[in-house]
Amino acid sequence: MGLLTDPGAGQGKFIKALLQYYSKICIILYFSGIIWFCALAYPPMNASTYFSENALLPGLVKSQFHEDKLASSFHNELLDEMKKYDNSIPYPWLLAKFKQIGLDTYTHNFTLYSPLNKKEKYSGKNVYGILRAARASSTEALVLSVPYRPPVSVHPTTAPSIAIMLAFAKYANKEKYWAKDIIFLITEHEQLGIQAWLEAYHGVTCGNENTLDHGDLKGRAGAIQAAINLELHSARIGQMDIKIEGLNGQLPNLDLFNLASKMCAKEGLYHTFKNKGQEYHRDPVKEWKYYFKNLIAMVATQATGIPNGNHGLFHRFGIQALTLEGFEQSKARGSSKVGFVSIGRIIEGTFRSLNNLLERFHQSFFFLFTPLFRQIHLHCISSFCVMLCRLYMPAVCLIAGALFIKSCAKWFKFEGSTNEEKRENTHEQQEITELKVDKIIFIFLLTHFCGVLIMNLPQYITLICDQYNYNASTCIFYTLSAISAVFLLLPYLVPFRTCERSMNMLNILCMLELGTVLICLAMNNFSLGIFCAAVSVPVALLVNPTSCRYYSVLQRILWLLTHPLVVLTTVVLVNTYLMFPDVKQKEIISRGLDATQQAIVYSIVDSMIYGNWMFSVVTSIFIPNWLCFWCIAFSDIKKPKNLLTEAKKTN
Amino acid sequence: MQFLTCATYLIFYVNSVLTYNSDTFTEELLIKPLYSEQIYAHFQFTTKWDVDPNTETFNHSRIFPRALGEIVKRYNVQELHVSLTGGLWRYDSWGYPVTDAAPGAEVWAWFKTDTKDVNKNWKLLANSLSGLLCASLNFVDTSNSVSPEFSFKPTGVTDSPNVNSSYLSSGVSGLASLLNSGYIHNTRYHSVALHLRPVCRDETCQSLSLELQQSVSLVYDYLILGTKNWSLRKLFGQGVTRNCILASRSEIYVDTTTSSTHSFELSPPPDDVVTSIRGGHVSTFGKYNVPNYFLHISAKYEESQKLAVVSPPSLYASQYLTGYGQERGGIVTKLYNNHWDNLNVVVLQNIPWYVPIYLHTLKVTTDGVNNEPITLRYIPGIQRERPYYLEILLKLPPKSATAVSIDFDYVFLKWQEYPPDANHGFYIGSAIISSHLTLARNYTGLPQDGSTITDSFNASRSGYLVQVRTENMVITLPTPDFSMPYNVICLACTVVALAFGPLHNITTRRLVLKPKNNEKLLFRLKRKLTEFLKK
Repeated sequence: MGLLTDPGAGQGKFIKALLQYYSKICIILYFSGIIWFCALAYPPMNASTYFSENALLPGLVKSQFHEDKLASSFHNELLDEMKKYDNSIPYPWLLAKFKQIGLDTYTHNFTLYSPLNKKEKYSGKNVYGILRAARASSTEALVLSVPYRPPVSVHPTTAPSIAIMLAFAKYANKEKYWAKDIIFLITEHEQLGIQAWLEAYHGVTCGNENTLDHGDLKGRAGAIQAAINLELHSARIGQMDIKIEGLNGQLPNLDLFNLASKMCAKEGLYHTFKNKGQEYHRDPVKEWKYYFKNLIAMVATQATGIPNGNHGLFHRFGIQALTLEGFEQSKARGSSKVGFVSIGRIIEGTFRSLNNLLERFHQSFFFLFTPLFRQIHLHCISSFCVMLCRLYMPAVCLIAGALFIKSCAKWFKFEGSTNEEKRENTHEQQEITELKVDKIIFIFLLTHFCGVLIMNLPQYITLICDQYNYNASTCIFYTLSAISAVFLLLPYLVPFRTCERSMNMLNILCMLELGTVLICLAMNNFSLGIFCAAVSVPVALLVNPTSCRYYSVLQRILWLLTHPLVVLTTVVLVNTYLMFPDVKQKEIISRGLDATQQAIVYSIVDSMIYGNWMFSVVTSIFIPNWLCFWCIAFSDIKKPKNLLTEAKKTN
Repeated sequence: MQFLTCATYLIFYVNSVLTYNSDTFTEELLIKPLYSEQIYAHFQFTTKWDVDPNTETFNHSRIFPRALGEIVKRYNVQELHVSLTGGLWRYDSWGYPVTDAAPGAEVWAWFKTDTKDVNKNWKLLANSLSGLLCASLNFVDTSNSVSPEFSFKPTGVTDSPNVNSSYLSSGVSGLASLLNSGYIHNTRYHSVALHLRPVCRDETCQSLSLELQQSVSLVYDYLILGTKNWSLRKLFGQGVTRNCILASRSEIYVDTTTSSTHSFELSPPPDDVVTSIRGGHVSTFGKYNVPNYFLHISAKYEESQKLAVVSPPSLYASQYLTGYGQERGGIVTKLYNNHWDNLNVVVLQNIPWYVPIYLHTLKVTTDGVNNEPITLRYIPGIQRERPYYLEILLKLPPKSATAVSIDFDYVFLKWQEYPPDANHGFYIGSAIISSHLTLARNYTGLPQDGSTITDSFNASRSGYLVQVRTENMVITLPTPDFSMPYNVICLACTVVALAFGPLHNITTRRLVLKPKNNEKLLFRLKRKLTEFLKK
């Protein structure tokens, strides 16, 4: 290959080969992408992990935390105090404790105006105390947060984590080595509280205006470097689960994850990722199977784009965060339970390591992806196998590459040979095959306009619902379904359905768009990217402007199955079936449909409050693209080849 | 009191005792238990030299440090203020210190009117000071210094000179070795400062004197000390062995005002009890004259555990960054007026050139209502040459919180301007909020005309100057991937190679017409084989 030479010279071979074999190449590319993804779960395919940040020096300091008695007395006091507050946070007690410990203590009020019904208003209150570091002037901070759960909450209690947090605060405030302020934060209303606090801390609004009023903070402590969210369900912990998936599929820095797991290992606590600990298999197939299950579990969580803990909302602000969730029951046989001393020491070790940081977490693996859990018991070092960006991106690129190859081949097939055709074709045929660029662009833009319309629809629906006092969530669901159904008629608006060249042009355009979108999506949220690619690409490759009626009907049915709404319903149904395998089929379907309805409404609400971009991406990009392909599936081409042959015969 | 300063002064003493005896040296220590869980210790060493600073050559000196004198003389300095600080003075819970100091380093100086090139002298002065104090003040130059119009007035006697000030955030070392370093780092706040200014020799003010204040401020925490019962040994590692023979006064003052709420007992009992009424605020001090033998002071608190509600002082402030990501951000300075009356304040901000601010985004709101600034001074920065200077004169309504916010952009720097790893980021210095308070509650500062702690007793004035320093901030500027040049080189080389290969091929090869051989492969092989065998 050389530059500055005639591009036409000697390249006809490639084009010929491409035109001849492109369908096979597409199939090979797709399956090699899928196989690549599956192979990622096999340990030899992965880079093993290491600490890239030397300053962390994990576990090098001697743990001195021994305030376990204090922690248990805090725990008992808190349990008594919680009885007095059924549905709210016992903030006088918490404030008093923070003050006695000697922290700068503040409260933070926030209000949520329900995005679906503006008249509904919820208010909440966070409590936080700041340990002012002796060695610095409040330029940097670390956060230890706990979601407060009142007794009526459906989630398991987190009272033990508040107790250990207070005990740790008391211990830490005596020490003079802190170089970063530590913010001890107790939030209310799960993710809403932490979102409001973070928005107030940074003085920004992430979701829609006038939805979450984040209020103001009286005390701050500089740039937050890292955060640990603590959810302990019992005073004695048998298993610690480390959760990392954040909003929009963002993940924390690998070093933080390694740090937390190393600290747990140091204290001899059985720690897990995705509720799975280490398993050993001699058989490589079994080993692969075990890792593959983990991989799928992580993909499933990350693809939804919903954080699986309070840590997930920190990531947007460039703060590395994870959740440590402690369970009393352990899945491992023969593992021992640890009490407040060990948990305190895990926190102490983690925070002292973070205190050592001389710079922001920046190195290594921003696009980390850790499906595998491997523990080397030698020296009690645990290590997670990581997939780096360079390892996992090829999987999506291969799948999306199939689309590019096909569009390339189509271009050469229909555009490369235009000159010769023009000479051969008669005047009438030229008219049929003439490229209608303006109309193609019009259709392309029209579909995208429809997408934007759907994206903005919920806001207006809620306004209308408010006036007529309908239930907003059902209203939204039915309007969206109805509009999607109406848009299915869009192909009949296409004026050039009979023109093969124009339809092929539109097809090329759609395939390029889909391929690009998939790669971009995978860069942001790999799991979502690979899922969409695996589902949509094979069908998208099948969709062609065709003159065969049976093929046309088949591709319409297949393409209908990849409609985002259909995919969502299918996924939810499968999920419902997996969660309730004993329930009858009818029951599953009705439950699944309910769940789908809720999933849509929640994704809209999430995008309004937290700025989750799942709903926006699907409506503004995937639905328009889907509609374009749908138009192509409805192409109505009169067999041009037959015409040609007939014309030749007559000649 | 055997401070280490004595040793350095002795050398000068021997040299010049005969020629110069017009300078006096006093040393004082103020120990003040704060209303919060901290104790404040402030050392004040004051040298007053009865010479005319305008004509003095600084060739001979007795107590006055000659090293400093040479610098002052050489760069035509009228007034010089330097402070090096670790930690942050928490105004809201600790009240006001004797001398305010920004976190990190702060230098401000006035040059004499006959100075030719102030900018050049300023840079040279900073470099000399960095050598003298072992601090990285050499980074101070015109690209991070401003000349404020309102905030810094000459504190001494002067005719209109030029002022320059700068704050840098850097480590502290040097003068701190005056005290036992191990114990200085047990603190929540430590600051060393040096203030040089011309003052009136007497009340008639016919002639001038040169005054040098050197101070060390420390704030200890009872939690870190482990007990509330403090003593000199617990705070500083040892008691006072004896007084300094060069000092005309060696005194220790212990503020016993808080004893009314948290009563404590001093042992030995103070030599004298001083009651000071200042700005409507009564405070009592236990006074010790340091004898020429060992002195150890300790305090014992009564057992009762009381938690006092600390009411914040009249004026305090904080500063923080808003926004996230690496595109746009904002700086917010919050001013709290706890006073029952309006307060006029001056907010000074020296914003580095790599944080370009937009004046049209400046918003001043008091409890949500727009507050129009009385006067505004703004000089936009120039990249790599001049920082952004913003000075706002504001009226704060009583019992209010005012937010001054301004937006900025994140910018890329030149690749050599990024600090090497590992760095916390780029610092933005603290804002300085100056005001004249009418009440002296929680106020320990020295009066304008005073130079020692004794001067601050019963020193009621019409206003009490406070200069509140906020916390400094750290931002992460967008940092390019520094492996990028390598990638670019690789890519560029590949492209060149691809272009060069065919060109070289075409231009250097001789094209020869070759007759086409239609012979079949098998025949050719057979022919070659027979030819080979024939040989």
